[in-house]
Amino acid sequence: MRPLLWIPAAVVALAATTVACGTGGDPGAPATTATQAATPPDDQLDLGATVDVRLILEPVSLNPFSTSGVAVDQLLLDNVYEGLVSADTADGDKIVPRLATSHEVSPDGLSYTFTLTPDAKFHDGSALTSADVVWSLQQQIAPGSKGLRAAEFASVAAVSAPDPTTVKVDLKQRDTFLLWNLTQRGGIVYKKDTDFATLDAKDNGSGPYTIANWNRGADITLARNDAYWGAKPKNAKVVLHYIPEPSAANNAQTTGQTDVQTAADATLLQPFTANPGFTILRGTTTDKFTLALNNKRAPFDNPDVRHAFRQAINKEDVIAAYGAGIPIGGPVPPQDPWYTDLTGTDAHNPEGAKALLAKAGHAGGLAVTLDVPNVYPRAIADVLVSNLKQVGVTLTVRQVEFPTWLTRVFTNHDYELSIVDHAEARDIGNYAKPDYYFGYDNKQVQADYAAARAAASDGERDELLRKVAKQASDDAATDWLFVNQTHTVVRTGVYGVPSAETTNRFPLSGIAVGK
Amino acid sequence: MTFWLLRRVALFAVSLLVASVLVFALLRLLPGDVAATIAGTDATPQRLAAIRAELGLDRSLPAQYGSWLAGVLRGDFGTSQLNGASVSAELGRKLSVTAPLVLGGALLAVLVALPFGVLAAVRNRTFVGTGISAVSQVGIAVPTLWLGLVLVLVFSVQLGALPAQGFPVDGWADPGSAVRSLVLPWVALGLTEGAVLLRFVRSAVLGVLHSDFLRTARAKGLTRGQALRAHGFRNAALPVVSVLGVQLATLIVGAVVVERVFTLPGVGSMLVVDVGNRDLVKVQGEVFLVVAAVLVISLLVDVAHRLIDPRLREVR
Repeated sequence: MRPLLWIPAAVVALAATTVACGTGGDPGAPATTATQAATPPDDQLDLGATVDVRLILEPVSLNPFSTSGVAVDQLLLDNVYEGLVSADTADGDKIVPRLATSHEVSPDGLSYTFTLTPDAKFHDGSALTSADVVWSLQQQIAPGSKGLRAAEFASVAAVSAPDPTTVKVDLKQRDTFLLWNLTQRGGIVYKKDTDFATLDAKDNGSGPYTIANWNRGADITLARNDAYWGAKPKNAKVVLHYIPEPSAANNAQTTGQTDVQTAADATLLQPFTANPGFTILRGTTTDKFTLALNNKRAPFDNPDVRHAFRQAINKEDVIAAYGAGIPIGGPVPPQDPWYTDLTGTDAHNPEGAKALLAKAGHAGGLAVTLDVPNVYPRAIADVLVSNLKQVGVTLTVRQVEFPTWLTRVFTNHDYELSIVDHAEARDIGNYAKPDYYFGYDNKQVQADYAAARAAASDGERDELLRKVAKQASDDAATDWLFVNQTHTVVRTGVYGVPSAETTNRFPLSGIAVGK
Repeated sequence: MTFWLLRRVALFAVSLLVASVLVFALLRLLPGDVAATIAGTDATPQRLAAIRAELGLDRSLPAQYGSWLAGVLRGDFGTSQLNGASVSAELGRKLSVTAPLVLGGALLAVLVALPFGVLAAVRNRTFVGTGISAVSQVGIAVPTLWLGLVLVLVFSVQLGALPAQGFPVDGWADPGSAVRSLVLPWVALGLTEGAVLLRFVRSAVLGVLHSDFLRTARAKGLTRGQALRAHGFRNAALPVVSVLGVQLATLIVGAVVVERVFTLPGVGSMLVVDVGNRDLVKVQGEVFLVVAAVLVISLLVDVAHRLIDPRLREVR
């Protein structure tokens, strides 16, 4: 009889334990951020180490040619596949050499000549030559191309290979985005005649890693490519664990199942702050949390209503609810060359918002619906509901699955308000597409964007794009809630972990484990 | 028995066919499709149309159903439209996690429910009986999610005794670490499912205790324990076996909460992800196979009933 008594007692004890050691920290706790210790010399590193990394979003396919999703870029770019050039996320997205050791641009800007490294090899052992580069770019520019990023290469007229290590790209018109687009997945060099449908089963890139294993729904293992032509990875293997739940990810990190936790929930950093076992890194991202206001549909076809909504929403409240981020006021994150501070445009002003709504004929109130993918924290929408209520707007929040959002909002434009994290880098061009789901159609913006793309210099381009950003903000084309700041938790004794823009490009070869 | 079994198998086949239509049709009610997932935010209407044509999504629904069913009849359950993964191979891999999870959880549930359920019934209206009842009520009320989190906090984070989450990268290659990663999920599942089963065991035994046949057995001179063992348990087992069958069947996909808490790559988690990606050919193949498994379980439960209860064997 007596032994049974412990059961209720144990339940109470367990309940007390959750309160005492729950992973849910104080949401307002300031994050301790630090810079990473320098990587020690190789003789002090375990070059045979396996590094376990927590990521959130698993790619749906390993075919970067035709399957979308930033998770594909995060996994494959610079790790498994390479382009002629790359972007250094640690250095403000500076364009740096990769397969091409150098390039020259003709004075008229219409011809780019790339010189390839003679040492690069595909994972199947065959040499990477200019013929492969030409074939890969031709897949993008071919009529009816299935390439996801084919539209980015519309300016390319022809690609040719004068010799095995030289590639010449001729343009129909100047294109100041060409090099950038070549750093992205449209610029990946595949082996000539690759059947893209086979890439899920067997990768064949030229990068420092090969894909060793994919347990769908759990993890992907990358193994060092010992035949890599460039600097060899400082680890033998990387296991990428896809752990969506923030608390499970925290537990994995605190118990040593993972060495690195990317995209740590900023409201749950408590176990790692002031803890000598871990370093928390804070990095920039290109994750622009954008509130789309359907410009083509009432009431948002009236600019006054759009400005009213922008002024009604307190970005600091939204950032506090999300945990980390900085206000931007326009479509450009601070690390881009054409950034300009637009946070003063439509700054938080509930009274101004009310006046604008009254002017637009909505003095008696307004009811609108927000469609938001269910992958984002509900807290963001909750702030909007309360902010908008203060100016007489009743907001109904509809959480939808991402494919539903893609079909209903993105493709069919059947929405009033929507929030999405536009994670792609340098995507200001979306404001120059009148058919885009924003419904924003300003001929001057479109002309300026086209002129920026064909500009004679980067300086001229940046000036024009600043104009585009300012105009989009002045027109309240959309609202910009914040640009995310990402937290990466690193176990002490692990070095060289990228901390900026980790969702788009996550080069793993510099990650090292001390002996 | 033979005729009954034949009829039961025929019913099984018809159920599967109906299930295949339902699974196919219900999935088509979801907004969004796999073409949207493939093209993402780089989509143009032309690109979407091209992908749909390539994947055959532009054909009529009956045509799509027909070609899928034809594949199933040949034993080909299809492949993912996103990454070409084979449905049967993927399901097999996920079952190597979910099957041990569910069976282990169910075994633990039975080990908890049988002794305590019988004890609660036999000692009904005493301190012990009421105590067990109360605790089982708490067990039913406690969400598996919460219990899982508490177990992780105590046994992984605080004590460091067991892994906090995940399944070994190389699966069952190292059985020791595979088992270690299943211990906490088994406990979470076993305690919450066991609490439910315990209620059924208790009420079944209570029902038997007040039955005429047991009173007759006692009148013949058997003790209460002898009467229960000789006649009672066999009768009490009938509803309990039914409930256990239903629990097992629902757990194959219903263990998704436990799989999520412990980040286990099981069947439930896979279905959630695949539905989220609108990889419908994969989902319908997986659901179809799971439905088949559930129908097999219910067939086995029926057979078990007839073996336990001779009265049923006389019904044709």
